Amino acid sequence: MRLDRKNFLATTGAVAAGAAIGFPAIVGAAPEPIRLGTIPCLTGSNALLGQQEHEGAALAVEEINARPDKVYGGRPFEIVEEDATNDNQSAVSALNKLLGENVVAIVCPVLSTQVQAMAPVMKTHEIPWMTGGTAVKNTQLGVPGMFRLRGSDGITGAGMTNFAVKDKKGKKIAILHASDAFGVGGADQIVQSLKKLGMEPVANEQYPKDAKDFTAEILKIKQAAPDVVLMYIQNPSDTAIILKQVHSLALNVPIVGSPSLGNQTAMEVAGKDAYGTYCAVDFIVGFNSNVATHFLTSFFRKYHHLPDVGTGSGWVYDAVYMLADTYKKQKGTDPKQTIASLKGIKNWDGVLGTFSADAEGNMVHSVSIGQNQDGKLHLVKKVSG
Amino acid sequence: MHFDPVANMQLLVSGLAFGSIYALVALGFVLIYNAVGVVNFAQGEFVMFPSYIAVTFLLPAITVFGTVVHWQLPIVGVYLLVLVLMVGFGLLFNRIAYHPLRDRGWMPVVISTIGVSIFLRNAAQMIWGSQPIVMPSLFAVDTISVGPLHIRPQDLLIIGVTAVLIAFQFFLFERTTLGKQMRATAQDRATARLVGVRVGRIVAITFVYSALLGTISGLLVAPLFTVTKEMGALIALKAFAASIVGGFGSIPGAIVGGLAIGVIETFGGFYISSAYVDAIAFIILISVLLVRPQGLFGERVAEKA
Repeated sequence: MRLDRKNFLATTGAVAAGAAIGFPAIVGAAPEPIRLGTIPCLTGSNALLGQQEHEGAALAVEEINARPDKVYGGRPFEIVEEDATNDNQSAVSALNKLLGENVVAIVCPVLSTQVQAMAPVMKTHEIPWMTGGTAVKNTQLGVPGMFRLRGSDGITGAGMTNFAVKDKKGKKIAILHASDAFGVGGADQIVQSLKKLGMEPVANEQYPKDAKDFTAEILKIKQAAPDVVLMYIQNPSDTAIILKQVHSLALNVPIVGSPSLGNQTAMEVAGKDAYGTYCAVDFIVGFNSNVATHFLTSFFRKYHHLPDVGTGSGWVYDAVYMLADTYKKQKGTDPKQTIASLKGIKNWDGVLGTFSADAEGNMVHSVSIGQNQDGKLHLVKKVSG
Repeated sequence: MHFDPVANMQLLVSGLAFGSIYALVALGFVLIYNAVGVVNFAQGEFVMFPSYIAVTFLLPAITVFGTVVHWQLPIVGVYLLVLVLMVGFGLLFNRIAYHPLRDRGWMPVVISTIGVSIFLRNAAQMIWGSQPIVMPSLFAVDTISVGPLHIRPQDLLIIGVTAVLIAFQFFLFERTTLGKQMRATAQDRATARLVGVRVGRIVAITFVYSALLGTISGLLVAPLFTVTKEMGALIALKAFAASIVGGFGSIPGAIVGGLAIGVIETFGGFYISSAYVDAIAFIILISVLLVRPQGLFGERVAEKA
């Protein structure tokens, strides 16, 4: 058919009329998805953490979309993912890109340093920001709608310190930490907790980003002759290498670490060098709810490996489910309404425990102290903030 | 802080071990620079990629392209296999990244090496994933204890192998025709060609040799580092600094520069501050360059210019 002016008008008229009377019902059969933004570190030296975040989000979305009782208005979740790579600038660029994608909430990268770098942009957008970054400062940045789904460094640092001093009877405490926002923030919390107990660390060593030889730091700590060493480190690979070097340099004192010491990857890579160490973690297999058991089973079925629950996949899985429950309950996805609903969260059961929001947006208020016994983490005690 | 001879000995061994790795990788930089006049920014991936290949054949189970494979071949056989594969890799690198661009100036070649570096890192993540992987060591024990001194046998192996390689390097360059041809090509390619040196072949051999130096570095350091896609980049950065301190283009300079950076950063971390260890290394680098802009052993570069 030749497309002259008459045919063109007839065709467009027919299309317009069709659209007006019947097509919306047909097109509308596929409801508009709920677009959820995520910014994991998919490349760079923290790609492992990013991969774990990606896996947690993907599993939650797959499950929710398959369950009519979880999906609000029949609208499936759709993940819009941008790579935060390994530096703050890239995280901010990824965030800016994501904000143009019509997302209703954003799951932030787990690295606190990136969360803090993104804060100036986050302040200008009133949508829910779900974070697993544990630096205390993250929920004090003045970002409306910031919610933390893991125990903060305040709880973890105090829990580690109290365990070292009261349970392990430590009188000379040394600290080894990373030089990023996570490591520095955590070490500060430990120093503050020690101060409350009338103590000071006998050594407080930090290592530079991307370091692979820790001989100098470990020997300095050894020279201070501590009876307990507290480690505050995010990267599972760094954690494993440090534990190997601690072992080879015969620093034979109890080690109590941040959640990365209980990270599945760190425990596998460090092997026997991690045996006997303690850690403050969000999650210990075998001591959790039905939600956690379901998560572990589904995760293994989908990915054929165990999840890094606390630092990696569990909190992201919880974040997506919490948003889904909120949308369903409030019958809408309006970001401001969602923030108000999330602020009212009380006793919500997730993989990492029971969540209740406080005024700052902290949802988790306790961590567990675990011990690595022959490669498996065993619960020693629960500590609350 | 009191003087502790045991701690100093441990720092020295550790510093020399890491310095040896920097020196080997710096040698790779220098050899390629001398042969073709460009910095190979994929030198770090010459360390990382063979390490991944080695763990693929060494471990009882490893995930490759999402599928678990079970090779677990004997360690010495795997080392030899990886070295053979990396000969092919060096030739391929020369053929793809350098050869087609050799007459277009240094910039396209440098960009090409950066491109290969990014490609190999992304390829490693795609093939082996993001999990750090432990490479088994040749030794059954992690530490040898002599009184209060605790030394890793892997550190001693690194220092020993590096010493042998440096001796081999001097023998190759001073005593063999091939080495003399490599030196002639490094000094003046046009004249070398006039006196019958097959420059293209020598350049290809240089790429292979450089890839093998990276491979040996990777196999030596991986049991200490764990294998990750970033492992080569971290070493290459320090090795590049080492080759500048030594005098870019100078073989003794690369060795001395590498060892110096390894030892300085270890002792600096212990006696000054581990938080600023990189800053300390780079302050020394800048200080050396202020006093001797051509580096510690930079005469040959000056002669070339």
